[in-house]
Parts: sequence; C-alpha cells; structure tokens
Amino acid sequence: MSEAGSTQPAERRLSLLVTVLAFALPVVFVLVPLAIFLGYSFFSVDQGTIVYDLSLGNYVRFFTDPVFLPVFWNTIVLCVSVAIICILLAYPAAYFLTTLKGRWRYALLMLLLVPLLMSYVIKIYAIRSILGLNGFLNKALVALGILQEPSTLFVFNMNAILLTLTLLLIPFAILPIFLSLERIPQVLLRASDDLGASGSQTFLRITLPLSLPGVASAASFVFVLAIGDFLTPQMVGGISGFTFGRILYSQFGTAYNWPFGAALSVALAVVVIAAILVGERFGRNRGTSV
Amino acid sequence: MNQNTDLLTLRSVSKSYGTVPVLHDIDLSIRDGEFLTVLGPSGSGKTTVLRLIGGLEPLTSGEIRLDGQDISRMPINRRPFNTVFQDYALFPHLTVSGNVGYGLSVRHIQRKEIARRVAEALELVQLGRFADRFPAQLSGGQRQRVALARALICQPRLILLDEPLAALDLELRRQMQVFLKSIQREIKTTFLFVTHDQEEAIGMADRICVMEAGHIRQLGTPHDLYYRPNCEFVARFFGENNLVAGKLGAVQGELRSIETALGRLVCSISSQPHLKAAAEGASAFAAFRPEALHLADAKDTDNHFSGTISDLAFAGSSTVATITAGADNAAQRLRLRVPSRVDGSALKSGEAVSLSFAPHEGHLVLA
Repeated sequence: MSEAGSTQPAERRLSLLVTVLAFALPVVFVLVPLAIFLGYSFFSVDQGTIVYDLSLGNYVRFFTDPVFLPVFWNTIVLCVSVAIICILLAYPAAYFLTTLKGRWRYALLMLLLVPLLMSYVIKIYAIRSILGLNGFLNKALVALGILQEPSTLFVFNMNAILLTLTLLLIPFAILPIFLSLERIPQVLLRASDDLGASGSQTFLRITLPLSLPGVASAASFVFVLAIGDFLTPQMVGGISGFTFGRILYSQFGTAYNWPFGAALSVALAVVVIAAILVGERFGRNRGTSV
Repeated sequence: MNQNTDLLTLRSVSKSYGTVPVLHDIDLSIRDGEFLTVLGPSGSGKTTVLRLIGGLEPLTSGEIRLDGQDISRMPINRRPFNTVFQDYALFPHLTVSGNVGYGLSVRHIQRKEIARRVAEALELVQLGRFADRFPAQLSGGQRQRVALARALICQPRLILLDEPLAALDLELRRQMQVFLKSIQREIKTTFLFVTHDQEEAIGMADRICVMEAGHIRQLGTPHDLYYRPNCEFVARFFGENNLVAGKLGAVQGELRSIETALGRLVCSISSQPHLKAAAEGASAFAAFRPEALHLADAKDTDNHFSGTISDLAFAGSSTVATITAGADNAAQRLRLRVPSRVDGSALKSGEAVSLSFAPHEGHLVLA
C-alpha cells in the first residue's frame, strides 16, 4: 500500500504533464499562429511598414476589387475538378487493389504510393517535361495521328495545372478509398449474393455506399491540398494559369503586403475548413454511428 | 410438405482446401420441411457442408441435387436458399426494413409489394416497431431476428443457419431456440442448422447429423442418437455416457453379453442388426447413461458390480457421483446421476456401493 501511495502522486504529475502537452502543442503551433494571422488581416501597410490600426479595409478590397473574387472562384472550381478527376481515377485503381490476393495487394499499393516519397519539385519538373511542346504527351498524340502538330494546350495554362495537380495528388485519393473498401467485411458481399443480388447490384447497393466515407475523405484531402498549392501553378501555369495561391504568395513575397495576404489566407482558410467539415459530414458512416 | 420426400441430396461430396481435405465423400439427404441439425466439434466440416449447399464455395467432387436436379454449379445468387450468417452480416447502411427487403428489391419486385411483405416478415419475428432502426441500434437477439426475417422473406426452399446463436448469452439462446423452432413450424420451411452445441441440437432438431473429422458419423432422431449411438465418437460426444470396454459374448434374443473389467454385462441390441451380426470376441463398449445406473437391490439379477464413491457433485436437480469400480489394475470411472434431495443425498463420498443397470437401458457400441 505504501508503495502504491508513493508512486501515485508521481504518476498523477506525469499524466497531468501529458494532458497539458496534448493541449498546449496544438494551441501553440496551430491556434496561436492562426489567431496572429487573423489579427494581421485587420491591419494595413503604409510604404512598406505595417500600420497597427484595426480596419476592415483588406476584406472590403477582397470583395470589391474585380481581380480577386473571380480568381478565388476559378481556383475553387479548378480544385473541385482536380478532386473529382482524382476520385474517378483512384476509385477503380483502389477497387482493383482490393480484388488482389495477399502479398500482391500491398506490393502494388506500395508501388502506387512511392511517388509520395519523391521530391515535389522534381515531380513537377518531370510532369512539365512530359506535358511540354516536345514532351512525351505531344509526341505520342502526334505519333498516333490524333494531333497534326504538337499542341500548347497542355503547358503553361489552367489545363496544365489541372493535369499536374491530378497526377501529384492521386496517391492521396487512392489510400483512403482503398482503406474504406478493404474495411468492408467480405461476409456482407456474400450475404448480398446469397439474397440473390447480381455482381453489379452488390457493387452498387453494398460496396459503393459503404466506401463513400473513404471517397469523401479522399475528395476533401485532394481539394485541400490542391487549393493550398502555389508551387505547381507557379511552375506549370504560365501567365494564364493564375490561381489564388499565387496571388497569396505574391502578397507575402513581391507585394510585401502581409495584412492583405493574411486577409486572403483567412478567406482561403474558411473554404478549407468548410471542405474538411463537408468531408467529415459525408465521411461518417450512415447508420453505424448511433 | 411431405416429410418423406427428399428436398436436397448430397452425393459423395468431397471438399479440399488446397491439399487439405475437409470433407470425405459425404452422402446426406435433407427431407422437405424438416429441421435438420448438423452437429460436430470445431473442425469437423459442418460449416463447410453448409457453405457448399449455399453456394459460398465450390465442391471439389461429388454433386448436390435439388428435386433431383444437379445444382452443384449453380451460382450462389440463383440458388433458392438463404443463409443466416454466424455474425448476422446485416448491412450497416440500411435500416431494418432495408435489410429485410433487400432480397426482394434486387429481384425488382414492386415497392408496395416489398413494403407489405417486409411488414409481414417483421411481424413474424416480432420486430414491427424497429423497422426504421439501423442494425447498430439493435441488441444481439434483435439482429438475429432481422437476419432470420431477411432470409425467410424470399421464401427459400431451404434456410441455412450457421451457428446463429453462438454469440448470444445462455438465457437469450434458450429463448431463440424455442422461437426458431416455432417459426420453422409456422412457415413450414426446411431448416439446416449448424451447431457445436449438442443440447441445442437435441432441443430443436427433427434429425441430427453428427460429423467428425470430415465424415458423417451418424444421422438420426435425437432419441436414436442418445439411446442407439452407432460408434464410440457419438456415444461419447452426445450427452454424458459411461463406456466400458470389453469383448462381445453370446446373443440372447434382443440382448447380447459383453465380457468387461466389471464382469459380464448384458445390453440391448434391439433394432441394431450390425451388433447381432458382429463376431463373438470382437472389441466393443458397453454404454449406459449416468441416469440409468442405480444402487442395486435384490430385484436386479444382471449387470451387478461394486465400486467406491470417489466424488459427489451437486448439480441442482440432480447429484452426480463419480464411482471407481472394478479390480485395481483395471479400475473404471463411472458416473451415477440421482435426483437431489433437500436433506442431502443418501450417497456419501468414500462409501462402497453395489450398482446395477437394467439390460434394456444399456447398449453396445463397436470399437
């Protein structure tokens, strides 16, 4: 008893420390920076120095200036398109993986995830050279007779950003979809067969609905990663491929207007948080949560 | 429903997983409208029999006939059978009525008709109030009944039940046994029920098929199996039994003697022609139930032997005595079951007793 009595306060102190850390880390490294950003968005800049007077000027500018809202909207459309294309390509791939047996399944999954280990910049360079005027894509299309001469359709514009982001982010879509498909108990599919359903009926009525949580989290993953990206548009977007991320980046870099950049970040954060919430809402398994 | 016509016949059905055989040449006929229980310890192949019939797995060899037609290669979704799975396998994203109506909706039956039959099926399993709940909101027993309703709504020729009560606690299991049996009588559908619990089997089945190591050991009514087991495995597996090894002696009408360590015992061989035909001196067991054994009195002329009570165990309505009988070098442990008395049993541990059983209560099993 005496032993237990002496260790208990020490244990309690340790668990208190762990609890404090668990709360302190996200507060210090996530919430506080976000709050500072939010604070900065109400300041302004005068000849390169920040004026610490509260005003809504940055937000008024964002909503009234004819430049920002259309780019903002176009970027959202672009990223939703990227998410949709990623899902459409990733779902069949993930489904195919779950039909494989044992070792092959995970070997192939690893192979699909290997690109995540490579440098982001190198991947963008590689994709840019594939899409370029003398790139593999153009050469292949010309060789197949689909195009008469190399096209500039695939590089330094919005199409290029769309293609590149899709290629870069597909692994992030495959993984959650694969995991949700793999979690479906095989006996449910057998039960569906047993009750007289055909293969396509079993897929549409059992497999697909039960994998929707994975699809939802895949879509919100890809959307959030795509909308926060400024490097890809910078490198493959050229002049016409102007996205919100690039504007944001330029506010902190070239324009040196941190308060306005902060206001734009807040707008972006609102969209990202909304996307995560929507993903989470649809990601919840219907019926299984009481 | 004529209980004498065969609904389904398995003919020399074998099944191997890779090179590991799990079923050896099974022959089995299931009669129309009966409640047939397949009973066996784990690894006996009983669940495999069910999976082969349901079409969840292909046969290695042999054939399965339904009304005389070979259905061995019929795909699972076209077989007129439905399964109640061990862990129910309810669809988590569908409500109770969605689950129950699933088999009808995949057959493109009209919505109104589905709603009517779902309501009917839920009424039958007493779950009418739960139609809009999701499986996660139900208790184990309720899920069990949803699974049953889902299986029987398609009006299958045969309902396959794969240890459906294994996950329930004892009290609920007893209730479900009575419930299943009453439903089976009401809808007059053939049930094939797989279990490892012999008490469950005795309580529900019209016939029981005992399996061991991929073979069918005996097929018969619970009464047959209890009083006329045809092999040592069934005699030991099915209820408590005393088995005493010996050599067969002479036939005396419906009785036959056996020479054992307890002396000459006489047992019944009525309606067991193979025991009448067996050669004298063949190895066999005398088998008698603990409740058939009693303290001997002057009336008992046969099957006398003496022993010592080595242990007494109170088991509620009855008391079980473990008795050591026979010569020291060939001592037999026997069990004696007597009704319990409020003032304590007449038996005392360590006491020497004289025992007997009536010849018609003993039977013989070839070794």
